[in-house]
Amino acid sequence: MDLGLIVYALNLGAIYALMAVGISILWSSVGIINMSHGATFAVSGYAAWLVTGAVKPLVAATFGKTVLASTLMAGTLVASALITGALCGVIIYLLAFLPIHDKPNFQVRALIITLGLNIASVQGLLWMFGPRNRGLPKIFGFGRWEVWGTKIRFDQAGTIVGAAVIMGLTLAWLRYSRRGLEVRAMMQNAEGAAYSGISRQVTALPVLMLTGALAGMAAALLSQTIFVSPTAGVIPLVKGLTIALLGGLGSVPGALIGALLVGFLEAIVGAIPYLGQRYVLFATFLFIIAVLIIRPRGIGGLLDDTRE
Amino acid sequence: MSELLEISKLSAGYGPLRVLHEIDLTVRAGERLGLVGLNGHGKTTLIRALTHMTGWQQGSIKFEGDEIGGSRSLGAGRRTPALVKRGIGVAPQGDAIFPGLSVRKHLECGAYTRSAWRERRDRIDGVFDIFPPLRPLEHALVGKLSGGERRMVSIGRMLMTEAKLYLIDEPSLGLAPKISASVMEALWALPVTGAMIIAEQNVSLLTGRTDRMIGLHAGRLRGDVGHVELA
Amino acid sequence: MTQIRYHKVGRRSWEWRLKPTGVEERNRARLPGSKRHWLKWRDVHNPKTLKRERILVDKKPLWWTLGLSALVAVTPFLPNSMISVVSIFCIYAAINVLWTLIVGTAGIFSLATLAIVGAAGYVAAAANVYLGVPWPFMLLIGPLAGLIFGAILAAPSTRLDGLYYALLTMGVAEICRVFVTQLRALTQSGGAITNVDSFIPKDWFLQRPGLLLGFAGAFLLLLGALLVWRLVNSERLGMLLRVAKTSREDEAFAEAIGIDFRRARLMVFVISSAALGVVGAFYAMYFRSISPQIFSLDQLLLLFAMMVIGGLGRAEGAVLGAAVVTLIDKGLIELGPPRIILVAVIMIVVTIFAREGLTGIREQFRDFRKRKSGERRALRTEKGGEAMPEEATEIHDKQELYYRRFNKRLRDRLKKLISPELIEEHRLDPLGHHSDALARVLNHFRRAEMADKYVIHRMVPSEERFRVMAVSGQRGMPPRVVDDREYTEIREAYHAVFLLRVNDLLES
Repeated sequence: MDLGLIVYALNLGAIYALMAVGISILWSSVGIINMSHGATFAVSGYAAWLVTGAVKPLVAATFGKTVLASTLMAGTLVASALITGALCGVIIYLLAFLPIHDKPNFQVRALIITLGLNIASVQGLLWMFGPRNRGLPKIFGFGRWEVWGTKIRFDQAGTIVGAAVIMGLTLAWLRYSRRGLEVRAMMQNAEGAAYSGISRQVTALPVLMLTGALAGMAAALLSQTIFVSPTAGVIPLVKGLTIALLGGLGSVPGALIGALLVGFLEAIVGAIPYLGQRYVLFATFLFIIAVLIIRPRGIGGLLDDTRE
Repeated sequence: MSELLEISKLSAGYGPLRVLHEIDLTVRAGERLGLVGLNGHGKTTLIRALTHMTGWQQGSIKFEGDEIGGSRSLGAGRRTPALVKRGIGVAPQGDAIFPGLSVRKHLECGAYTRSAWRERRDRIDGVFDIFPPLRPLEHALVGKLSGGERRMVSIGRMLMTEAKLYLIDEPSLGLAPKISASVMEALWALPVTGAMIIAEQNVSLLTGRTDRMIGLHAGRLRGDVGHVELA
Repeated sequence: MTQIRYHKVGRRSWEWRLKPTGVEERNRARLPGSKRHWLKWRDVHNPKTLKRERILVDKKPLWWTLGLSALVAVTPFLPNSMISVVSIFCIYAAINVLWTLIVGTAGIFSLATLAIVGAAGYVAAAANVYLGVPWPFMLLIGPLAGLIFGAILAAPSTRLDGLYYALLTMGVAEICRVFVTQLRALTQSGGAITNVDSFIPKDWFLQRPGLLLGFAGAFLLLLGALLVWRLVNSERLGMLLRVAKTSREDEAFAEAIGIDFRRARLMVFVISSAALGVVGAFYAMYFRSISPQIFSLDQLLLLFAMMVIGGLGRAEGAVLGAAVVTLIDKGLIELGPPRIILVAVIMIVVTIFAREGLTGIREQFRDFRKRKSGERRALRTEKGGEAMPEEATEIHDKQELYYRRFNKRLRDRLKKLISPELIEEHRLDPLGHHSDALARVLNHFRRAEMADKYVIHRMVPSEERFRVMAVSGQRGMPPRVVDDREYTEIREAYHAVFLLRVNDLLES
C-alpha cells in the first residue's frame, strides 16, 4: 500500500467521521436519529457558496491577491458553513425536539420530522438554485507536496488536518467540560440527569448546534474535493448513518474507528484493478452488513463492557 | 426555626390513580424527618411530587416562601432540573445512576452550581471521607459497582452541592441488612446543614435518629407516629 | 340553599343501534370457507329500557366498502390524466398496505419494500423481454423472485435491533440501484428495461380504454393487497404476533407461552415479500418498463411519507396517506418542486401534532379526554368511600355499590361514637365487657380487611416487649413494623392498636 492511498483513505475517513460522530452523539444524548444531517450538509455548502461569492469581490478589492486575502476567504468559508450548520441545528431543535420531546413515540416521530426537513430542504434548494453543481473557492489552494515520492494534494492534507482538529476539539469538549459531562450523563440516564440539575431542553440545544456545525464543517471540507449540489447531502447522510451504525449507535469511539475502517476499505476497493470505483458502495454496504450480522451492536459493542 | 417547606393540600397521582390525598406538611430548616409507611402508600410519590416527577399533581408547595407547586397534568420532570438547582438534593429510588461514567465523573455531575464545580476536587474528597469504600473505586465505572456502592454513589452525588433540602428515597431498598446499616450510619453522620426527608419502610432503621417521624397511610399523613391525636 | 354540583354521568356514547324485534333469527352468514362472519354484530340490551339492541362493533368494513366503491364509481368519469393518477394511487396504496403488514403486524422496521418491488419487477421484466416469457407468467415469476429476495432479507432481521435493521435495509436499496445501473446489458437504456409486454394491449397504451383497463388492474391489485393484509392479520399468524407486539416484556411473555414470534415475523415478512413481488411484476407491466428510479431514496421517502401521514402500522392509514400524497405529487404536477415541499410540510405538521398520523387523531383525542376526566375524577375519590356516579356506571356488580355506600354510612356513624370517654374506657380495659358504643366500634375493626390489619408482635419470646406491626395481606410477604414504639405491657399494645385504628377510621 502506498502513501497516496493512505492519504486518500484518511481523507475519506475524516469526512465520514465528521458526519458519523455528529449522528452518533445526537442519537445517544438527545435520542434523535437525525435524518436531516444531509440537508444540514447541503444547506451549509450553499450558504458558504453564497457568502464567499458575496465577499470575494470585496476581499479582492481590499487586499488583492495576497496570502491575507486567501486566509480571509478560507476563514469566511469555514465560518459561514459552521454558523449555518449550527443554525440548522437550532431549526431541528425547534421543530423536531421542543414540541414533542416528552410526548409518546418521541424517537420515531423525531426521525420522521427530521426526514421531512431533509426532503423539504433538498427540494427547496433544488427550487431556488436549480440542480447545477457549484464550486466553492479552494481554501487550501492548488498544489501538492512531495513526500517520499508520492504527491499529496493540499486539499487532502487540509481536510485531514481540519477534520482531526475539529474532532479533537469536540471530543475534548465532551470529555473535559461541564457541558460535555452533562451530555454524557444525559446519554445514560435521563432521570438521573434531571436529579443532577441537568435539563434536557437546555442541554439539547448546544448538542444540536454542535452536530449541525460538524455537518457544516464536513460540507466545507468536502467541497474542496467535490462540488456542492442540492442532493450532495444524500450520500454523506447515508454513509454517516451506516457508519454510525457500524460503530454501534451512540458510541463516539466506535464511530471514529468505523469511519476510518470504511475510509480504508473504500480506498482499497477503489484501487483494486478489477473492482474499481463502481463497486465501492457495494463493498462498503456488504462489509457493514457482515459486521452487523456478526456483531449486532457494532464496534461500540466490543468497547462497551458495563453492566446494564 | 423557620419553615423551609410548606406543603398544603398536595394531591398527586398517575392517570386515574390518585396516590396522595391533600397532604399538609411543614418542614423546618435543618430538620430530619422520617417518612414511614408501607409499600404503595405514597412515600415515593410524595418525594417525586416535590420534584414534579409524578404523572399529575395539584396543591401548593412553598419552598422558602416561593411557590413551586401548582397544578400540572403533563410534563413530568420538566421542572425538576430547575428545582434541583434551587436547592433540593435528591437521591432517588433505584439510584438513577449513569452506568458508563466513572465514580469521579459521576460525582462531578452532582456539582451543578458554579461554586461547587470550581471546588469539585475537595468536595469529591469530602464524599470519599463519608463513604470510604468509594475511594479505591474512584476510576471504576459505576455500572460495574455493587448495589451498596451504587447507593453510596447516588447519595454522594446528592451531597456534591449544598442543598437546603435533601430528599432520600428508600436508602435501604434492596441492600443486604449489613450494607444497608452501614449506608444508614453514613447518612446519620452526614455533615449537612439542610433539612432532610428520608422515606423508609423499615422503621427500625430510623428509630431514634430522626427529629420527627411521620407515617403515610393510604396517601394521607398519619400524624407523628406514636403520637396519635384525635381529630 | 347550597348549590348542588352535578357531574356528567355515563359512558354510553351515541351509536347507531338496530332494534330487532326478537322474533326472527339473526342472519349468521359466514365467509365461505371460514368460520368468520361478514360483519361483527353484537347483541346487547339497553340497561334502562331492557330492550334488545344490536350494534355493529367493527364499523371499518363499512367504511372500506364505501370508499372503495366510490373510487370505482367515480374513476370512469374522470379525465385521462386523473385516471392514471388514481391507478398510481392504487399501486402505491397496495405497496403501502403490504409494507404496513411488515412494519405493523410483524414489527420489523424494514425500508427495503421498494427494493423488493423493484427486484421482483426487474426479474419479471427481464424474463419477459430477454427470455420471451408471456406476460401472465410474469405474475408468477414476480412473487417467486420477491419470495426469494424477501427470505434473504428477512434472515438478519432476527439478529438486529429495529433501527439497525432499518438502516441496513436502506443500504440494500442503494446496493440494488448501483447494481442495476452497473449492469452491462442495460447501460444503453440507463439501467431500465423497456418494451415489457403487458395486460394492456400495445395500441391501447396511454389511450382511454388502456387507462381504464390499467385502473381496473391496479384496483384489483389494491383489493388483493387488502385481502392479504386481512388474511394475515385475522388468522393464526396475526394472532400469534399480537401477543408479542408492543414491548420487550411482551416478547418474553410470548416466548414463555411457547409462541415462536420470530418465526411468525419471518413468515409475515416472506408472505408480504411475495405479495410485493406481484406488485413489482404489475408495476413493470403497467408502465411497460422499469427503471432504477424505483430504488431511489426519494421514491422510498415519498412512500414513507404516505405511511407517516396516514398513520404507521394501519392499513387505512396507508391508503389514506397514499391518497393525500399521490394527489399532491401527481395531481399538482404543474407546481414543480414546491409540491414535494408541501408533502414534507404536511408530514412534519402531522407528526408534531398527531401521535399516530391522521387516522390516529380520533383515538388520540379520546385518550386525551379519558386522561383529563380520569384526573378530574381521581381528585374527588377517597379510598373506601362511596362510589362516584361516573364510576358507578362502570362497576358491573351493582351490589358492590351498595356495599360501599353501606360501609361509608357505617363509618360516618361510628365516627360520631368516638369520644375521649370511649378511648378512656378502652384504655382502662382493652378486653372484657364494653359499653354498647365501644363494642360497635370494636366489631367494626374486627371485620377489617386482612391487608394492613394491625397485629402485635412479641419481640423476644420470653420477654414482655411488644410492638405493633401491619400484615401485608399478601401470601409470603411478611408483616412490617408500623412505628418505633415499644410496649412493655400487652394492654398498652392493645390500646395502641386501638388508637391506630381509630385514627385510620377518623381519616377515612
